[in-house]
Amino acid sequence: MISLIWYILSPIFIGILLYIIKIKYYRIILIIFQIAFFRTSLSTFLKIKNTGQIREKIGNYVDGVGIALYADNIAIVLVMLTIFLFTIMFIVIYNKSHLNKLFIFLFLSLQGLINGVFLADDLFNIYILIEVSTIVISILIMFKKDKQSIYDGMTYLLTNVVAMSFFLFGVGYLYKIFGTLSLDLISKYINEVDPRALVLPYSFIITAVALKSAIMPLFSWLPRAHATSSAPSEVSAILSGLYVKTGIYLFIRINGVFGQVINVGMFFLVVGVLTAVIGIIITLSQTDLKLILAYSTVSQLGLILYSICIPARDNYYGSVYKIINHAIAKSTLFLCVGIIIYAYQTVDIKQIKGVFKKLPLTSIVIILAIVGVTGGPFFNGSISKYYILNGYKGSVYELIVIIINLGTILTFIKFSTIFFGSSEIEKVKLRFNRKISLIILGLTCLIGGIFGTEVLNYLFDAKLSVDYNSYVYKSIFYFINILIAYFIYKFTYNKISFISKLKSIELSFNEIVLSIVIFFGTILAYTNFVAI
Amino acid sequence: MKVGDRLNFLRGEIVSIVLFLIGIYGLIARKNILKSIISLGIMQSALILFFLSIRFDSSSHPPIAEGAGHSIMADPLPQTLMITTIVIGVAVTAVALTMFMTLYHSYGTTNWSKVVKKRGENQ
Repeated sequence: MISLIWYILSPIFIGILLYIIKIKYYRIILIIFQIAFFRTSLSTFLKIKNTGQIREKIGNYVDGVGIALYADNIAIVLVMLTIFLFTIMFIVIYNKSHLNKLFIFLFLSLQGLINGVFLADDLFNIYILIEVSTIVISILIMFKKDKQSIYDGMTYLLTNVVAMSFFLFGVGYLYKIFGTLSLDLISKYINEVDPRALVLPYSFIITAVALKSAIMPLFSWLPRAHATSSAPSEVSAILSGLYVKTGIYLFIRINGVFGQVINVGMFFLVVGVLTAVIGIIITLSQTDLKLILAYSTVSQLGLILYSICIPARDNYYGSVYKIINHAIAKSTLFLCVGIIIYAYQTVDIKQIKGVFKKLPLTSIVIILAIVGVTGGPFFNGSISKYYILNGYKGSVYELIVIIINLGTILTFIKFSTIFFGSSEIEKVKLRFNRKISLIILGLTCLIGGIFGTEVLNYLFDAKLSVDYNSYVYKSIFYFINILIAYFIYKFTYNKISFISKLKSIELSFNEIVLSIVIFFGTILAYTNFVAI
Repeated sequence: MKVGDRLNFLRGEIVSIVLFLIGIYGLIARKNILKSIISLGIMQSALILFFLSIRFDSSSHPPIAEGAGHSIMADPLPQTLMITTIVIGVAVTAVALTMFMTLYHSYGTTNWSKVVKKRGENQ
């Protein structure tokens, strides 16, 4: 086992080394490094599983002064997920022309920074890591220097920097109150502070976290940045699959600390539902393949947020598992869409037809991923959906999850229209490395479903079990859902006229900042109301 | 009452909050991209001032010399944090300005809404 700090530093160091030193076989070194890195994370995970969480003080200062890193089950699993996905991405782009040294440096740094966000234990480090990763990502978005992507990258950068200034302001207030920035120490002493004093810093911090996790009024930066047509599809996959999860993870961490005194569960429950529903409606209005996937990320994030707000046992683990499932499935979808766009030279869903005949393997992997996201039986999504539903059993919340899931199925029925029909394009042969990585990703969706409960129990030491009768019942219900969604799509979807008008809705930069301020005002008023 | 006493409310904290609000106003109300970047700069300065003044005590002594009289030591942590923030702020401004230059070359305007309009035409 290595020290936790190397999860942040070693990718950056390797990136710099590969950038400076002229080595012919730098791609092979890269892949070997990634596999070794994954192996290391596995041993750290085993250590945490056996001996419990690790807290590491760098420089051995007293508590609350130096930098501290913290890894529990969830953090280290997310780190493993990060390294796994990055390894797959590097295998995918192994022989592409844009895998030059600069790209490797930026992409490897991003990996280290994301690991850092998952492991950091003090608020200022989280700020630094997110700020730097924002810069790295905005450069990655406009890596091909396309005219459109410059605007997307710039809005992304400025919006996120504004949000992170809010974060830092909140951190300042917390420092004024506690004299420390360590989340651990803050959660220890939070009960000794007047809750009213925490309203303002909490609202500042949660506004930034809300923007990072792209919830209701604050998601309009996400689709443009994730789905800009000129960004490499691997970058889109990492952004939309993995990077947004840092926001959700921070949400869990911050609310774990502040939840003792400020309970905003109800607020984010409502916001989560709104995010999911609006995400679905906008997804239905899109015709750009990448944008469909990006907006569907928004709706899935809403669902995840919705299900972690009430920490009953089952739905909490269900949503954590959903974070992992969605990361894998969405990365797979983005990679496959990248191949389709390359083959068809267009992003318009109406012009792409007959994918199944031309790209059989890609289509099968897409279907695996879609069934995974929508929660079909034997796939990973079904396990997370099962536990989320179980947690909300017998209440109105269960019904809401079912409706959101129906909407998700509807969006993917729209997406799967690309399989049918016939087209004139030539058959595309996939390279060996792409085939391998696609098959690995697709199989992960399947294995994560068949052994879902076992995986979940093993990873998080949870003691969950599936009731087979209700699992079978939910599986049958899934097929009924598909039928309903199909008929809705076939008969009523085209008749709703306002959907096509939604397509062109896009907030400008000024409006995004305005919505940040409005959200901040709302959450401030609400927390002021609920703080005891 | 002296003039100095009347201005007591002008503490670092208050000034920094006002500056922060000015920055936000600039971001919401100004459509010029350069002005947006400048507003971000103002917000950064507000944050730096805020951190430096939150635990400020005029009777404290600098944290370098130990035990100078009976005064308390000034808190060194915000100062070190702010050095990092300044560096990050410089980097962000530099990247934003570089992007703006490229944007200006390809769209020929400094106005957010005109950029959006031209972008729509291309699609």
